[in-house]
Amino acid sequence: MAVDVLSAGKTQLPSMARTQSRRLAVRHFKLSLLLPLIALFAFLLMPVLLLQLYFSFHQWTVYLGSWSEADFVGLDLFREVLTDPRFGWAVVRSLAFATSSTLGCFVFGFLLAYLMYKPFRGQAFFYIIFILPMLTVPVVVAYTAEMMLYQSGPINDLISRIIGVDFKPAWLSNPDIALATVALLEIWNWTPFSFIILLAGLSAIPKEPIEAAEILGASKWRIFWEVQLPLLRPVIFLALVLRFLEAMAEFPKTWALFQGGPGSATETLPIYIFMTTWQYFQISKGAAMSYIVMLLMVVIVLIAIQLLRREKRSLDQMYELRAKEAES
Amino acid sequence: MITRSRRRLISATVRYAILSIWGVVAFFPIYWMVSTSFKPDIQWFAWPPVYFPDPPTLTNYMNVWLGAEQYDQTQYAISSQTPLVSLWNTTVIAFSSTFLAVAFGSVLAYGVSRYRILSEARMFQLLMLRMIPPIVVVAPLSLYYSALGLLDTRIGVIMVYFLTTLPYAVWMTKSFIDEVPREVEQAAEILGASRWRTVFEIVLPLIRSGLVATFLFILILTWSEYLLALIITKTQVSTLPIELSKYQGSTEGRVYGRQAALAVGITIPLMVVGLIIRKHLARGFSFGMIRR
Repeated sequence: MAVDVLSAGKTQLPSMARTQSRRLAVRHFKLSLLLPLIALFAFLLMPVLLLQLYFSFHQWTVYLGSWSEADFVGLDLFREVLTDPRFGWAVVRSLAFATSSTLGCFVFGFLLAYLMYKPFRGQAFFYIIFILPMLTVPVVVAYTAEMMLYQSGPINDLISRIIGVDFKPAWLSNPDIALATVALLEIWNWTPFSFIILLAGLSAIPKEPIEAAEILGASKWRIFWEVQLPLLRPVIFLALVLRFLEAMAEFPKTWALFQGGPGSATETLPIYIFMTTWQYFQISKGAAMSYIVMLLMVVIVLIAIQLLRREKRSLDQMYELRAKEAES
Repeated sequence: MITRSRRRLISATVRYAILSIWGVVAFFPIYWMVSTSFKPDIQWFAWPPVYFPDPPTLTNYMNVWLGAEQYDQTQYAISSQTPLVSLWNTTVIAFSSTFLAVAFGSVLAYGVSRYRILSEARMFQLLMLRMIPPIVVVAPLSLYYSALGLLDTRIGVIMVYFLTTLPYAVWMTKSFIDEVPREVEQAAEILGASRWRTVFEIVLPLIRSGLVATFLFILILTWSEYLLALIITKTQVSTLPIELSKYQGSTEGRVYGRQAALAVGITIPLMVVGLIIRKHLARGFSFGMIRR
């Protein structure tokens, strides 16, 4: 007995030491995997965010001397931004632009994806044509739009010929429709994005529930609403959220085409921040504005992430359940 | 039976009609850009619009890309840099930043997939780097860079692009790594391979095609980036999208043909890359939401 205990203790000791050293090695390994990310955050992201914070509390502009000696002004800059009606309008424009273009992309993207998720002749051809707009550089989209949208340009000419009536909106100079012009360009540019992820989502839906519903005699319409749409919900969600966030940040097309004009018709948040900082050189006001926008976006993004994670979890659960069923 | 086949015919016709209409909508602007690049200058902005260049000319390309008449006619002498230099800059910047993002991103993704070094919540938070509009940090970024002497340098642009594309790189490569069976790594471990060797000599080679797809996907983003490049490059390292916008700002007249010739040159590499990885595009954007 005593001998037994002793020998057991002997073999246990080194193995415990080994697991411990192994655990340490794994920890080192994990840390070294993370190191580049930590370095990037520490040397690039953090200094920039701290500087931003500094400027939103200190009045400074490029005409003044060294920025490190700027005056501390407390919350004045934030007050200035929040009482600036131009800022309010920029928020409204950004939200309107992002919402309308997101919905536009979604509707067209969904329609095309729904028409294309089953194989048919020419599918590959249409797929290639449809993704091309996404593969044009946004600035190029802006300049090409300028080449086509002047009042007697090809777009108005073609539409007039097709509908037989003179159709001559001033896409680029009428302040009432300028923002809509950018939204249409955004839709043209990014419908492919919604299209490809919805197409992938539709094709990934398991076939069994649809076939079961067909056998039970359900109409296409009912299958769509009661089987496909619920299964597609996470992907739909993804298409809407990502597109909305990207549209909130849209800068190249709006800037290259309009620089905020005509008047202030296309002055969205990114444009207004850009003008404040780089044209009026109100660096500090721009910084305060940026902070407000950043906080606003962080809130939106956190909500979006929460929802995305919930969708992902329900998806994971569903697939686990299916895997178990397949096993048994 | 007849009604059924007829119904099928009708639905097929409707489908092709809708798809063709959208095909025209999607393709026409691209056609217009290409055709304008071949038009002589009186047809750039004509009434009625000229749909086919007549006669097609290469003048725009010669002028823009080779600087054929750039310095005789001051009107077209717009940039201190020739587009070929910008093309080189864009290539160097886009390829290096993309390489960094994929290299470090895939190693990170390996850690996430096998060792859970980032929780799922952290992984989503990483996406914030991409979801917060970059405009909110460009001003302090440019001041920080000028303090470090990184303003208007390639390395400066590369670092920023590296940071902003890293989230996509991690997410996309993770989706490939998740598909590699763990048994392979366990076998390597039993045979005595170190952890790093397992990553670089077993796992990453196994997802080779996934890494290429990720690389090209991110290349699309870095190749066409505009806002950050506009702020942190000035004259030394301007990229092609910035070069294109210079044709806008400093001329009075419309130089559509020249712009189009430049635009075609910028766009072609992007389209080639995009078409090569067309099957993987959905994965790049789907963050684990689409299963196969």
